Amino acid sequence: MTEFQVSLTGLHARNEKTIQATQDWERNRINEVTLKSCVDEDCDALVGLQKRSGVEYVTDGQITLAWQDLFRPVSSGFEGLEPGPMVRWFNTNTFFYTPVVKGEISSNGRALSKAVEQRFAGQGSSLKVILPDPLTFAELAEDRHYGSKEKLLFAYADAIRLELQRLSSLGVKYVQFSAPSLVYRLKRRALSRSDLKQVGESVRASLKGVKLRSGYYPFFGDASPYLPDLFDDIPTDDVGVDLTQTDEASLPKTSKGVIAGIADARTTYLEDAGALAERLEAVEERTGAKTITVAPSADLRFIPRVSADQKLELLARVRARVGRSAKGGARR
Amino acid sequence: MKPFPTQEIGSLPKFGWRTKPFRLMALTDDDLASAREWGERLQVEGRADLYRLLAKRYSFTEEEKKTIVDFSLLYAIRMCETAGQGVAKEPGLDLVWSGEQARTEMYETPVSSIGGFEFVGRVRSFDNKYWRMASIRGPPKYKENYHEEELVFTQAHTERVPKVPVTDAITIMAWSDNNYYTGRWADRKGLSPAKRGFSARREFTLELAKIIRRVISELIGKGVREVQIDIPAATQYQTEDDIKLVSEAFNETTKGLGATFSVHSCFPPSTGYGILFPHLLEMKKCERFSLEYGNRDTFERGLDPGSRVGFEDLKLFKEYGYQRELGVGVIHIHTDTLPTLEVVRDRVLYSAKVTGLAPEKLYVNPDCGLRTRRPEIAQKMLDLVVGGAELARRRSG
Repeated sequence: MTEFQVSLTGLHARNEKTIQATQDWERNRINEVTLKSCVDEDCDALVGLQKRSGVEYVTDGQITLAWQDLFRPVSSGFEGLEPGPMVRWFNTNTFFYTPVVKGEISSNGRALSKAVEQRFAGQGSSLKVILPDPLTFAELAEDRHYGSKEKLLFAYADAIRLELQRLSSLGVKYVQFSAPSLVYRLKRRALSRSDLKQVGESVRASLKGVKLRSGYYPFFGDASPYLPDLFDDIPTDDVGVDLTQTDEASLPKTSKGVIAGIADARTTYLEDAGALAERLEAVEERTGAKTITVAPSADLRFIPRVSADQKLELLARVRARVGRSAKGGARR
Repeated sequence: MKPFPTQEIGSLPKFGWRTKPFRLMALTDDDLASAREWGERLQVEGRADLYRLLAKRYSFTEEEKKTIVDFSLLYAIRMCETAGQGVAKEPGLDLVWSGEQARTEMYETPVSSIGGFEFVGRVRSFDNKYWRMASIRGPPKYKENYHEEELVFTQAHTERVPKVPVTDAITIMAWSDNNYYTGRWADRKGLSPAKRGFSARREFTLELAKIIRRVISELIGKGVREVQIDIPAATQYQTEDDIKLVSEAFNETTKGLGATFSVHSCFPPSTGYGILFPHLLEMKKCERFSLEYGNRDTFERGLDPGSRVGFEDLKLFKEYGYQRELGVGVIHIHTDTLPTLEVVRDRVLYSAKVTGLAPEKLYVNPDCGLRTRRPEIAQKMLDLVVGGAELARRRSG
């Protein structure tokens, strides 16, 4: 029997009160304490919504100023890195500061734990953190030190491992590697099998000795050029596909969990829950996965907060539909 | 045109005395002092009337608010016209605009004036910067010409050549929530998920292009000759189909219109502007591409590729045999850290060197609009544009 879960997969939208607070703080109209109180309240509300929606691994939404972009805790907190030029984040109207590699990348294992809202670890919730995967880091970073993508992949992976070990000791239960660079290739060719295996090895290196459930989520592109190898070569417990870009008919049988990015994270248009449930049933049929995580196609920071929360609620409704169907034994 | 002519890109910062009356906030002593300081510095005509009006501090009538906006347009025009004073022998930009002072900003103004949109909330662009996202909930419809009044005012108050910036259809589509067209294409059978998404974007974009063409056509009817089509989102959607759509939308927008059209874009992905080629060159009526480069450059002097790393991407134009005009962004607009005049000069000279274009075809501008900077920084940036271009002129001539 397939277990259906629900999860967020990226940075979430800030609510209007937090947005205003960040702007007021920048203009010296409020102090840092007031800002923090707004952000904390925002995180609490989002975690509360995830719990009510039956989310198994909750995220803190990465809405604090530590996560101005997905790289920021890394580019600001690791030795050898610093934030550089501002560049567009794939095909969105959002931007990130390029991590510039100026020396040997190293970490004291405490950069991410400062950025993650650890108060949500425990207290009845299993906390999930979301990080750039080694490939996305290596492809988007400006390397002025290693001169080799392979070295960069593994240097990042090694630094991340220390961070994950620390997060695990603090009660975090899940790590997701966000991997848009794998599938967002455009004029560039898809990675060769040997390159994919190398990415898999870098992920393995980052997880060595780490006791967390793990997921690998390539989004913003069609995963079919990598199927079925993606499920074999990436050593995480779950592997995801962006189903707004990938046809579910291309999915293979797998013994891994599947992250099914089924709700379009780029629009407030609310899909029909029945239609999404049908697609999920097709995913279940194709993959035979023991766990399917019902997820948005990407971060929910690309639409306003109210709509982002509605998408999460939609995912919960979709899960309830397929969950009911599964309990009734209709498909087994 | 002279060698290395200069232009702004569009927006300039708004003063507190311009924004607060609309937010129902009382003006402070600092706001009044700033109106005076800049009024004197720019020698704005009739400024004493503004000072008297602002002394009221709050509860401005609609008519008074309009007067305040008109003065903000004047301040912006004078800022463009006097840029470079103190650093250049010939101050002033060659192509000027009124700083988009009459607009909320480049996205919100058009979507507020085109039917079919609803604002749904703010979305983060980067750090603590956000835009107010509008959602398209039905077919877009022309309601009014949202730039005519500011054009007429600007033309009446400058002897220089005004260049009106107009936000294009791709950008409005890309920054909006495509709710209506996503729904229209959601159930189309026989299309891949990605193709359905693209079809929704294309239909939305081309409907918008028709409306924008009408807006521009009316502006041309009012006498404007320089029209800058702003496409900051040109590099947002990056599939082959989407890149072709950027040119298709531009051609659709300018079809049958007679003016000098330029295109501005900025902040491409880390791979640079290469993704736009060769389709960018299929924009039939585009005389000039004004692009951002300063953001990625070093602050070192020099005409070598290492010092001018941010401008290496310009080689693309030479590779494609480009012979029309170019506007090169020489000032990074998201920082208060400024290059020296000599560095700006070197950026200009290096641009000429790698493109092989005649200096008359190479415009000098900031990377993008300056609305996020404080007025004093924006002024310094414009000074650098004018002063740096003049130094380059001397060196090359």
